[in-house]
Amino acid sequence: MKRVCAILAVLMFAAMFLGLVQAYSERQARSPLAEYYLTQVPRELGAPNVVTGILITYRGFDTLGEVAVLFMVAAAVGVLLGSKKEQRAKTSSTDGKGPSELVRTGAEVILPLIFLFGAYVIMNGHLSAGGGFQGGAVVASGVMLLILAMPASKLDHGFLSVTESLAGVLYVSIGILGIIIADGFLDSHVLPLGKFGTLLSAGAIPLISALLGIKVGAELSVVIDRFRS
Amino acid sequence: MVEALVQPLNIFLFGLGGSFLIPLLYRIASPLPSLAFVLALGGIALVSGACLWTVFHGQPMLESFTAGSTPPYSINLRVGPWEGVCAFSVNIVALLAAWHMWDRLRQSYAALLLFLLLVMGVNGMVMTRDLFNLFVFLEIVSIATYGLLGFDGTPAALAAGLEYILATVLASAFFLLGTTLLYHVTGTLNIDDMIAHRGLIAGPIGTTALFLVLSCLIVELKPFPANGWGLDVYDSASSGVAALVSGAVSAGVFFALFKLLPLFDSYLALIAVSGGATFLFSNLAGLRQSNAQRILGYSSIAQMGLMTLALALMRQLGADAAMPLVVGGLFVNHLLAKAGLFFLAGAVNRPQVDGWTAIAGRPLILVIFAVLLVAIAGLPPFPGFWSKWELVMRAAMAGQYAWIAVILAGSLFEIAYMFRWFKQATRAEPEQVAVRISPARMFPAGMCALLLFVSGYLAADLSGATSLWLWAPLGAAALLFLFDWLPGRVKSLSMLVLVLLIGIWIVSPVEGINRLFAVLLLSGGLVVASASFYRTDPRSGYYPLITLLLLSIAALLRAKTSLEFFFTWEMITLSSYFLIALAHRAHDHALPFLLFSIASAFCLLAGFAMAAATNGTLDLAAFAAAGKDAWPAFVMLAVGFLIKAGAVGVHVWLPGAYAEADDDLSALLSAVVSKVAMFGLFLVTYLAIRSEIGLDMAHLMGWIGLLTTLVGAAMALQQADMKRMLAYSSMSQLGYIVTAIALMSHLGWVTAFYLIANHLMVKGILFLAAAGVILRTGTRLLDENGGLVRSMPFTFAAVATALISMSGLPPLAGFGGKWLLLSAMVEKGWYGLAAIAVLATFVGFLYMFRLAYTVFLGERKAEFATVREAPLALLLPQYVLIIAILALSFFPKPFMEPISAAIDPAFAATLVWDGMSLETIYGYWNPIPVMAITVAIAAVLFGIVWLRYIYGYRRVPTTGVAVFYAFYQPALSKLVRPVAIGLWRGVSELTLGVAGSVRKLYTGNGQTYCLYVLWYVIAIHVVGTLMDLL
Amino acid sequence: MGLPVSQILLVTGFLLILIGIWGILAHRNILRIIIGFSLIDTGIHVVMVATGYVTGGTAPIIDAALGKADAAANAVDPIPSALVVTAIVIGFSVTAIMLSFAIRLYDAKKTLDIDAITDSKW
Repeated sequence: MKRVCAILAVLMFAAMFLGLVQAYSERQARSPLAEYYLTQVPRELGAPNVVTGILITYRGFDTLGEVAVLFMVAAAVGVLLGSKKEQRAKTSSTDGKGPSELVRTGAEVILPLIFLFGAYVIMNGHLSAGGGFQGGAVVASGVMLLILAMPASKLDHGFLSVTESLAGVLYVSIGILGIIIADGFLDSHVLPLGKFGTLLSAGAIPLISALLGIKVGAELSVVIDRFRS
Repeated sequence: MVEALVQPLNIFLFGLGGSFLIPLLYRIASPLPSLAFVLALGGIALVSGACLWTVFHGQPMLESFTAGSTPPYSINLRVGPWEGVCAFSVNIVALLAAWHMWDRLRQSYAALLLFLLLVMGVNGMVMTRDLFNLFVFLEIVSIATYGLLGFDGTPAALAAGLEYILATVLASAFFLLGTTLLYHVTGTLNIDDMIAHRGLIAGPIGTTALFLVLSCLIVELKPFPANGWGLDVYDSASSGVAALVSGAVSAGVFFALFKLLPLFDSYLALIAVSGGATFLFSNLAGLRQSNAQRILGYSSIAQMGLMTLALALMRQLGADAAMPLVVGGLFVNHLLAKAGLFFLAGAVNRPQVDGWTAIAGRPLILVIFAVLLVAIAGLPPFPGFWSKWELVMRAAMAGQYAWIAVILAGSLFEIAYMFRWFKQATRAEPEQVAVRISPARMFPAGMCALLLFVSGYLAADLSGATSLWLWAPLGAAALLFLFDWLPGRVKSLSMLVLVLLIGIWIVSPVEGINRLFAVLLLSGGLVVASASFYRTDPRSGYYPLITLLLLSIAALLRAKTSLEFFFTWEMITLSSYFLIALAHRAHDHALPFLLFSIASAFCLLAGFAMAAATNGTLDLAAFAAAGKDAWPAFVMLAVGFLIKAGAVGVHVWLPGAYAEADDDLSALLSAVVSKVAMFGLFLVTYLAIRSEIGLDMAHLMGWIGLLTTLVGAAMALQQADMKRMLAYSSMSQLGYIVTAIALMSHLGWVTAFYLIANHLMVKGILFLAAAGVILRTGTRLLDENGGLVRSMPFTFAAVATALISMSGLPPLAGFGGKWLLLSAMVEKGWYGLAAIAVLATFVGFLYMFRLAYTVFLGERKAEFATVREAPLALLLPQYVLIIAILALSFFPKPFMEPISAAIDPAFAATLVWDGMSLETIYGYWNPIPVMAITVAIAAVLFGIVWLRYIYGYRRVPTTGVAVFYAFYQPALSKLVRPVAIGLWRGVSELTLGVAGSVRKLYTGNGQTYCLYVLWYVIAIHVVGTLMDLL
Repeated sequence: MGLPVSQILLVTGFLLILIGIWGILAHRNILRIIIGFSLIDTGIHVVMVATGYVTGGTAPIIDAALGKADAAANAVDPIPSALVVTAIVIGFSVTAIMLSFAIRLYDAKKTLDIDAITDSKW
């Protein structure tokens, strides 16, 4: 009975989606909003990457909220799994099987590259494809590899949590600075726009990107580490 | 400085800044996170309060822009009146919740920041004007909730948490998809832009997108039946978290629905049906619950359904002007009451309702509990009452009677399970150790109760019902409650003084027939209530409630609009209920009393709504000029008043409540309070006089009245308990009055008033006399008493006088009343009724004789040899009433003339159909010669009886009387088969059975709940598409 | 040229969502159900990106291939791309929370069978 209902439900959704696909025709023109962003982000914000420009300024309030979400997840996962860790540590250590030689050596070679790439993606977010979130995720994937390759290594949660907090506080402070010296909360014009297309340009966008990268990297690392068992 | 504070944005700076700082501060010193939390949460509340104040003082709209740009390019926040009220009330409740959860919160900085971000997220959902930003805030709120749910380590809480996550994640996934598609068709994410260009939302993509967003919002509001996950969370989460989910989280989602409603204009009926079904079925399934927090869960879900229904209905009817009162009132009412109840549940800490006997001995806790329950039930003076009134009025004006039925039925279920819980809380058990709760623990619930009063007054202000006289009863009761620690007699005296002074002030401008009732009920009430001097114990809570009861009766008589009438009517109901519930023996009878009273009140509400719809005004004066179409309103109102009068069939609440209440309270209920229903009947019969159907209905009412009389008398004869006998006797006597009113002639109404006055005095005396007998002999059973005439001669004299007057024997007032009634019936040609009246009088005579005989005459029991006369405090009121009876009997003219004069203007309009003039009435019945003759005959008869008694009572064996009754009791037993009780028991069992099957939907399986959610989305999609096609 | 790119993406996205729904409804293991949710999320993200595609458009980044002046005429709609970043992060967060609950439940009950976890009902 339940299974029949399930199949029927999937079929109903399939019909709904089929209707959508059939009615869909590929867009030929951009919405006025998109055109505004495409012209204004490079001109007004000085950022070649329009997506990053939107994310960090026009929809900066969303981004801040999203940071808050990750922040909460790090805290919540910590509470949910933190207390279990001690007793789990005992049981898991008896397994004794470490990762293979290949993984360990490979990790040693590749880890610095991953971290470097992460930093690059973070810092060039306003110039090319990338940004704080993407770079932060790259950094965290490096941390994951670290954990897999070297199970004995321990992350310093205290340090990470201070880092993410500081990054968050600085982010909000830059936002407030926007109210004081620029046109509003999260306005990126708190710093000079600089020369278009260079690393230090586009006002506060690279700075916010960096903070985001640090924060996201730290939070994702904490979350991943919590799941280690 | 102040202006810088009044920026919606600051709420988010406090929230984000505070929570980002908390881990940092945690590394520095341990108390710092708590401090930051308190500052940030306080800051959020302060900013929202400042915004609210500004919105209502000069600047109607506050807006914060971000990113140095303007919408639609960047995200903006807005606070208008709606946002201000919603955010501020949520933030206040959040502060209280933080207080409530403080011990848990401060143990973990993660809990602090989750709590803070949750509150901020709700503010964001309320204030943002960007659709995607709304999604982000929805996720912030959801994830904070998930985190807080994870703090309760119990497996049940975790399982419930997982169910909750599965369902809400599905819902928000649909929201995301819908948002994307809406952007695709409209090219904007700004809500104002989207509403302005809603014409673009068409075609399969646009409508599907709308359905997806709508499904998410409705599912997040926990619609029936896709809401088991919500119930499980309410059930198993800690009380503070449950309060947050029920109050804050739902508030955010509800506000989102409110904000986006213009997009859903074509699907308002769909939203209304979803809300209505949720309200009805959740309350139905709630009937079977025994776990306190799960009860609150069912009620929470139901209330959200009601709000959804109200929102959609008001929008559909174009009643935007009524939105603040209806939707705002329901919202604030639910928020405060439900949060308060969850706080209380946490403080009392008894998961099962049965365990709540632990608070039985704690008056303050009980008062707070009662206030919260009354509020959640939508009873006055709280905001929910004013909202429901307005909602029902609006629905009636639009002819949406089905919705009124749904709203009232659901409300009745809710009241049933909520007050069943209260019943447990008032049932003190001998070995039970009363729970001890520190004042600090009670603070949040107490604050909620207090704020409910404040918001209730504000809602009344919106309804235009803040006259001082309307609220004076509550004020007086509150004053007396503050001095509840004084000795009982001091309180009794202050009660009498307060009622006298304020009562006279309230009724001073009243005129006409209302003035007659005012004089009669106020003076009668004071006389009967003064009997409370015979009790020396403190009677905690009794005197404030009596004050409320008597003054509300006074206020009822002053009511000019049906709203004022209904408000004071409900106050009378509530004060009577709580008074009855104070008596330990009355536990099982208080709840039926309340339920039948509320059912009666709901009939009145529906009736008033119909009357308002046909008359076009709430003015009671318009009743007299109502047109032909008013008869359905008459039927509803008459049914309401008949339930309250204990008419046959719906009388099952009456004997228990009247008999098991405190002895002096029984006197007040039967003598005075029952007359309020009679006044109501007087009021509404006008509605029937212009139409044939109405007149037929009135005739039917006459039959009901006399059947009530007959059955009541027969039941009274069967009783072994004297208070129960008197209770049935009340029912019987009220039947006469109903019939007299139903005659709808001048003579009939004069008779009715005469009977009312007579019954008030007679039943006051009899119940007070019974109180004296019970006090002295300690038994209520007729057969265990006997021969008390020597010990209690004054009581016997009073009883004898009252019985003579009640039975209709000459020369006392009852005789005049009966005579008048028979004359009026014959005049109208109601011969069948007249015959029944004669039969009922005969049966009445039998039980009355039995009362006098078994208690006072007959053989004196040995153990009563030392019994003394009843205390003076009981005798004095009885003799005041006897004087009144004598005055009414022998000098009827000074009474009759004002009655006649008061009725005349009322019937001036009705002469069209009656044609009966004043002169003919007095020609028909001239009391002076009749009375002269009857007094003479009666004097002789009385002498004979007296002599026979003096010489012969010892020789009359009790068995002889028993043999005498052995014939009549079986003969009349056919009349008294418990048909009505069986019927109502069947109804309640059937309802509970249905409730039991409905709740089987909630299997507790998260996967099944996901299936429900998905099917709900499909259903919305299919029904919505069909609505588009039609 | 056949099907337009965005159509292919759209169909893929919706198929992922359907598979996800089936996963939620058909599997009893909580971890598999969580995978179902991840699939739904991913499917929605694909759909989001697909709806932002404009025929012939390129990435909205000003570089050698896309001048400042013709950005408004040649780039795809940047807004869905911006939204999808946020959506991905949120999807990740939700998955992490669900997994934590699953782990805690497994510790408490030693099972991941969703039919065995029905503590509160009716």
